[in-house]
Amino acid sequence: MRIVVAYKWTCDPEEATVGADGTVDWSRAKPGLSAYDPVAIELARQFADATGAELIGVTVGGKGVGTPIAAKAALGRGLDRVVIVEDASLAGAGPSELAAVLAEVIRQIGDVDLVLTGDSSVDVAAKMVPTVLAGTLGWPAVAEVTSISGQAGELRVERAIPGGVQVLKVRGPAVLAAAADAAVPRIPGMKDLLAAAKKPAEHAELAALTVPARAAVMTVTGWSRPERKARKGQLIDASDPAQAAGELITALRQADAL
Amino acid sequence: MSVNAWIVVGDQPTVGNLIAVARSLGGPVGAVVAGPRSVAETVAASGVDQVLWCSAPADVPAEANAPAVADAVAADPPRVVLAGRNPGERVLLGAAAARLKAAVLTGARSVTVDGDGVVVVNAVFGDIAEQTVAVSGPVALLLDGGPIPSAGGTGVPIEEVCVPPLGVTVTETRMHGFDQADLSSARRVIGVGRGLKAREDLTMIEELARALEAEIACSRPVAEGLNWMGKDRYIGSSGARIAPRLYLAIGISGQLQHMVGLTGAETIVAINTDPNAAVFSQADYGLVGDLYQLVPAITAALK
Amino acid sequence: MDFELTDEQQLIRDAVREFAEAEVAPIAAEIDRNHRFPHELLPRLAEMNLMGMPYPEKLGGAGADYLSYVIAVEELSRACASTGVILSAHASLATWPIYKFGTEAQQERYVPDMASGRRLGAFALTEPAAGTDAGAGTATATRHADGYVLNGSKMFITNAPYAEVYIVFAKTDPDRGARGMSAFILEKDTPGFSVGEAEHKLGIRGSSTPPIYFTDCHIPGEALLGEEGEGFKIAMQTLDGGRIGIAAQALGIAQAALDAAVSYAKERVQFGKPIASLQAIQWMIADMATEVDAARLLVYRAASCVDNGRPYSTEGAMAKLFASETATRVAGKAIQIHGGYGYTESYPVERNYRDAKITEIYEGTSEVQRMVISRSALR
Repeated sequence: MRIVVAYKWTCDPEEATVGADGTVDWSRAKPGLSAYDPVAIELARQFADATGAELIGVTVGGKGVGTPIAAKAALGRGLDRVVIVEDASLAGAGPSELAAVLAEVIRQIGDVDLVLTGDSSVDVAAKMVPTVLAGTLGWPAVAEVTSISGQAGELRVERAIPGGVQVLKVRGPAVLAAAADAAVPRIPGMKDLLAAAKKPAEHAELAALTVPARAAVMTVTGWSRPERKARKGQLIDASDPAQAAGELITALRQADAL
Repeated sequence: MSVNAWIVVGDQPTVGNLIAVARSLGGPVGAVVAGPRSVAETVAASGVDQVLWCSAPADVPAEANAPAVADAVAADPPRVVLAGRNPGERVLLGAAAARLKAAVLTGARSVTVDGDGVVVVNAVFGDIAEQTVAVSGPVALLLDGGPIPSAGGTGVPIEEVCVPPLGVTVTETRMHGFDQADLSSARRVIGVGRGLKAREDLTMIEELARALEAEIACSRPVAEGLNWMGKDRYIGSSGARIAPRLYLAIGISGQLQHMVGLTGAETIVAINTDPNAAVFSQADYGLVGDLYQLVPAITAALK
Repeated sequence: MDFELTDEQQLIRDAVREFAEAEVAPIAAEIDRNHRFPHELLPRLAEMNLMGMPYPEKLGGAGADYLSYVIAVEELSRACASTGVILSAHASLATWPIYKFGTEAQQERYVPDMASGRRLGAFALTEPAAGTDAGAGTATATRHADGYVLNGSKMFITNAPYAEVYIVFAKTDPDRGARGMSAFILEKDTPGFSVGEAEHKLGIRGSSTPPIYFTDCHIPGEALLGEEGEGFKIAMQTLDGGRIGIAAQALGIAQAALDAAVSYAKERVQFGKPIASLQAIQWMIADMATEVDAARLLVYRAASCVDNGRPYSTEGAMAKLFASETATRVAGKAIQIHGGYGYTESYPVERNYRDAKITEIYEGTSEVQRMVISRSALR
């Protein structure tokens, strides 16, 4: 069986700074594996170990997603090999474009039985790459997945629904988005990290892939800061809890919040 | 009739906001429903101009109707396709977007028509900034849902579409027994974070919630790692976004991931032992102290 | 001269930091308060392949370079100085002499178990009357028909009684002073070997450092490590490397204190603004940041000398001297920046301060380091 994990190498918005004019400065941010992707890799690794499947990581993006350290960071988490499409034209690409490129890479890899993604990316958090990818491949997609078992062609998938869990039978190759808490990702051990450099990291050229052009063109014409409600930041002395409680309730009533 | 906006609906008819946005763009509004027929009937009476219903066996989840939805939308390509922020609807929207080779935007604050395309003000990167995006060509938008209006009258006819679904069937459903949350309509919400040491301490929070007539919510570590309450109570970037009149952040540090779900809250109160906690700069009122003393004190003062 | 870490070193640093924050930091205050050895961490350290990082994979280690090992000790110590020394004493002081001086049989018997973390090691040189003057030790190893008989006592033995393998230094020829000292490998359950009561210390309270006693303790001839009379040399060479591990521990403590001071200064508001906007605080932070960075450069340089097969005795001494004195100084300033709060258990800086002091003392006091450095400088 062949399993692909689509992962993202990107920066966390917590490390970005926004100017008064709304432009985002990423210069102090250090890229890394998107926060929930290690969960997907862990879930995939456990399933691959249970079935003897090959586990391949795929990532597509702009400059930097294919550096040796990016590849090793992903491989060190438990992938057998990675395929990378690194092209300047993909910097800032939206979910639709990224999914289209991922679909082509997956077609080229061939005989893929299952694609896993993380719950959402740490920077964009659109939750749409797995769904557009599935739509492009013509495969079923399921999100909030907490457990995977079964075999190629017939998977048993558990997914979270409001108030509980549903068990699904999924036929044929599929795209599954792992819930953010589907697995606790193992922290790579020293041997895993040192072995990562020896695992294959293949670079695929975007120009060599036949990716159908998008029917829509997006042009960013401006940036702005979202209007944030100004917060009072008023501190109430809490050394006497009873008094503090009284003060708080009075203040809330006066501000018509209660 | 050539539809200007398609609304993709799954199991729940909470698409009121989507209908309003679609209407604001002018032109006919159609809905493709991939859930139970009862949902199609509710949508048909909401004031849309056309309703297509993808029928499928009862044990087939909405996601499996992705090809039917994609076919329907592609047969009458629109300017925009809209869906609500739910796992099922995202799959359906993704299929439609793939078929149309549409652009996808998920943080739209406003959408306006511009020639053949639209201009979207799109919040990005955990809502730290907004882009103004001009889109020429079809675009798929994820928006917050909302209660569906009832337009009265007989509504529009439901056109049944029969396209074989993908091979996904539900074999079992297990409910975990946590009370379902209704955070979106709650006027007051209490959020608990890792400052709460033990599950038993929720009793103290529940007492405050009763005194305050508030719903209880939480940050990600409490919902996922500790599993003290249903995940539908998690507020944050990959959870719920709410805009109550009053939000009490108890034992919550104030990370971006959580606070992004609260930008619409009118008044925020924070209780935390750590004076360094980021939450204090994002609150209207802050109490630096022990929640185990302050929460009972506030409960008592309310009675 | 490339001052950047390799990809592997960066990934190792990130992984150990992630592990330290997730599993070590949450128990650091508790093991300190309760003087408790963190048993539960040992299997996890072993699973992460941290217990024998610089040893070859075929001997159970991770095959990492020495700098990577030093970074690991730094990151662990940043979360918990006790955990840092538990690892460092095991890997640098107990495993290394067997790896370097042991026969093939001894290496096979001990190194795989120790490098993989299955068995914990300890280094027993210090005695009640022989600290800096290690050559004056009075523990004896009398030749016997079936090997040797150990008699005497050792003090402040890190990892006792949980260690299973002890490197013990004792005089086979008491009349020859330091030259009469030999090294031995002692296994835990040997009759005549006992461990005394735990020592209550100012800092690194999670590290167990009791005295140990030998009373007619018979050990086999194969327990001799190296040649008779080579013991003092083995001890000194082992400490040469071990002090780089302690330098890394001190560096981790200093970094933790600096991070806490920076975080506090940005949030604490007095006179209407964060104290980080006051020049007095800014200059303190500037000095602290510079000293910690300088310490890091010395520590990493010493580790690089090990990796490049260059002499490292002086470089290690400089690193240990500077990093340990920096840790004490920076931790003290961090408490000052925290003000009254820094003096309470609610903030971690008081623990950093108590942990820092020992780094100026063990594995060669600062005075000893100065002796080593001046000997080299005055050549």
